[in-house]
Amino acid sequence: MRKKIAIFILIGWALLIIGDRVDELRVYQGAQVAMYTIALASIVLLTGYSGQVSLGNGAMMAVGGYGAALTLNNLGTPIWFAFLMAIVTASLFGALLGAAAARVSGPYLAGTTLALAVGLPAIANQFAFLGGEPGLFFDVGFPPERFGDEFTQYKWFFWIACFIALIALFITSNILSSRFGRTWKAIRGNSLAAELCGVHSSRMKVLAFTVSSGLAGLAGAVLAMTISLVAPGAYGLALSFALVTGAVLAGISSLPGVVLGALILVFIPEISVALADRLGDADKLNNYLPGLIVSVLLILSVIFTPNGPGENLRKHLHKKPAH
Amino acid sequence: MIRKTRIRRTWLAAAVIASGSLLATALPANAETGVSAREIKLGITLPLTGAASPGYSKIGNAMDAYFKYVNDNGGVYGRKVTLIQKNDEYSPQLSIAKTNELILRDKVFALVGPLGTANFTAVHKSVGLAKRRVPSLFLNTGFSGFSKKKSYPTSFMVLPSYAMEAKIIAQFLKENHAGKKLGIVYQNDEFGIDGMGAFKAAGTKFDVTIPYTSGSQSSATAQTWVSQLAAGGAEVVVMFGVTSATGALLGVSAAARYAPQWILGSVGSDPVTLRAIGVPVAVLNGAQTPAGNPSPNDTSDEYVKQFQEINTKYNTGVAFDDYVLQGMNIGLLTVQALRAAGKNLTRRGLVRAMETKGSKFASVAYSPLGFSRTSNVGHTGYYMAVMDATGDRKPFGGKVTLYTTDSGSGPVVVSTFKRPAMPAKGLPSNS
Repeated sequence: MRKKIAIFILIGWALLIIGDRVDELRVYQGAQVAMYTIALASIVLLTGYSGQVSLGNGAMMAVGGYGAALTLNNLGTPIWFAFLMAIVTASLFGALLGAAAARVSGPYLAGTTLALAVGLPAIANQFAFLGGEPGLFFDVGFPPERFGDEFTQYKWFFWIACFIALIALFITSNILSSRFGRTWKAIRGNSLAAELCGVHSSRMKVLAFTVSSGLAGLAGAVLAMTISLVAPGAYGLALSFALVTGAVLAGISSLPGVVLGALILVFIPEISVALADRLGDADKLNNYLPGLIVSVLLILSVIFTPNGPGENLRKHLHKKPAH
Repeated sequence: MIRKTRIRRTWLAAAVIASGSLLATALPANAETGVSAREIKLGITLPLTGAASPGYSKIGNAMDAYFKYVNDNGGVYGRKVTLIQKNDEYSPQLSIAKTNELILRDKVFALVGPLGTANFTAVHKSVGLAKRRVPSLFLNTGFSGFSKKKSYPTSFMVLPSYAMEAKIIAQFLKENHAGKKLGIVYQNDEFGIDGMGAFKAAGTKFDVTIPYTSGSQSSATAQTWVSQLAAGGAEVVVMFGVTSATGALLGVSAAARYAPQWILGSVGSDPVTLRAIGVPVAVLNGAQTPAGNPSPNDTSDEYVKQFQEINTKYNTGVAFDDYVLQGMNIGLLTVQALRAAGKNLTRRGLVRAMETKGSKFASVAYSPLGFSRTSNVGHTGYYMAVMDATGDRKPFGGKVTLYTTDSGSGPVVVSTFKRPAMPAKGLPSNS
């Protein structure tokens, strides 16, 4: 445990140094990587460990984002409390959904959560208190003045996002290596066998949904912070599909792999711009290329590395010490 | 022990990948961002695809066509103007992402003509345009909130505000539809509330008031609007919403044979866009609307004639309409602003030039520009027009009667303002 804490502190320290060395675009992208890391961790926990396939994590992010924004805007609470409320709101919603989801599995569960991803963000359009299509502002404020004029808003986002991501990953990795993680794995492997061993599989599935939703909600609030906004369009179907792709590329049961998945998701638009510039008519191509790249990567990954390149990398790294 | 070592190695590998990627590029800053000896880079976010793209998507290409015309005739003090267009699909969060790309990756000198109230509100706040001192010229939105100079010190409007528009419509209702039962459908956000506040201040009392949430408009919701308007006996109906809402209202009303006198706000009355979303343009026949520019079909107008020629050569195959006219006009205003800022172009200099010389710029719109050291308001008035069955408009009463006002409590007055002449060959020579 001490070593793990030391590693997380080391990574945090490295990120602080990196934040000072790179230009502002990379700092902004760094905050996005942190956001995706948390979101992908929620999928790894739910799908990789408890075996429940969800296509609706974008919707759970929306619940967290709106929970945080409503808390901050209406109650004027400190920012950390808004993030906490994002977790609480999404967890409660996840518990309700989990109770229903525990009754279905496989493609039926995927279908149910897909419906959620399609429908939930659009609900915001119908309620004025949720801000309609333009959404609600989520303003975490300027960085403290003592950091100086050179300390930009995006660096502030980067710091907050990385801090939250490190804590979220630390807690998640501990949960996954605890009794709960082992139980979820047992359910995923063979639900009937797990029940014969005394595991209450439905209850544990609901718990997995609740914890995963809390993480997704937290990612939703971090996303809202990086764009200063919660709006239905930010949590659309494309986000849910991108997350699934990221999780598959990361290796669906590999928690450290989520960093790789998050990096791929953030840098797909970069690849798209580079490709579009080479192919010509960049403006038009840029509208469609990111979606195409995500789809192609997902298909190639499923064909050639069913467990994801992240999982393969992890196995490769694990093999070396034994040789 | 081995397992712990493996976990540590995996975490460290992930951290190294993250670090390496973030360190990948770091470009040195130029003397002035987006300006070189040969080029001035400008950026715009607008919907090139999606529900809001019909019409709006033409603005960027029209601006680009005008810049190409200027570039072929010597550019701005020898520098060519390059416009980078980014598609935000009219979504605020995409506007933020795309503006970040323009500023952080493409390193544009200034934003010109960014589109949408919610979009620019979100962008200004999230990207921090004021703090970065990035000039944002000729916003394609009429939200009067953007005229707060202290909050938006580097932003400049071009359209008259929605509050001005509402005040002018209120005056028109008083003069031409007194004693009739009035109804209004408005968008319940900054855009509509801006207008409703002005109607209230002008003393206009509506017998039927219908707010709608942005995004909720559809044929189904329009059915309920028409039922309420008809039940309330509204004889004159003001539509103060976006084009999709106007289209739904007009379409459902035509099917229900409900035909009040329509007064359509400038945002939702474009016949090209209405046609693109499936509304038969004939339903516009007789509708009254505030207008700032001459009709794009009025070839007797020197601006329209010049812009049509540029469009034929540099925007080949694109029909010349209000959006193309607006885009070319923003191009014309932008070139004047860049020239006014001088050969040693800086962001600070551009803002100062807008404040000190902007009110004298040549522009196709009939009303004066309100730029000064204390004001970032663009055009300040409208004339009322009547639409025919093709959607074309003619001045109400046969001649242009220009009303000017402000976004506050100032009166609505008939103006005798004469707009500056179009620069020779459409090429500004100001300094």
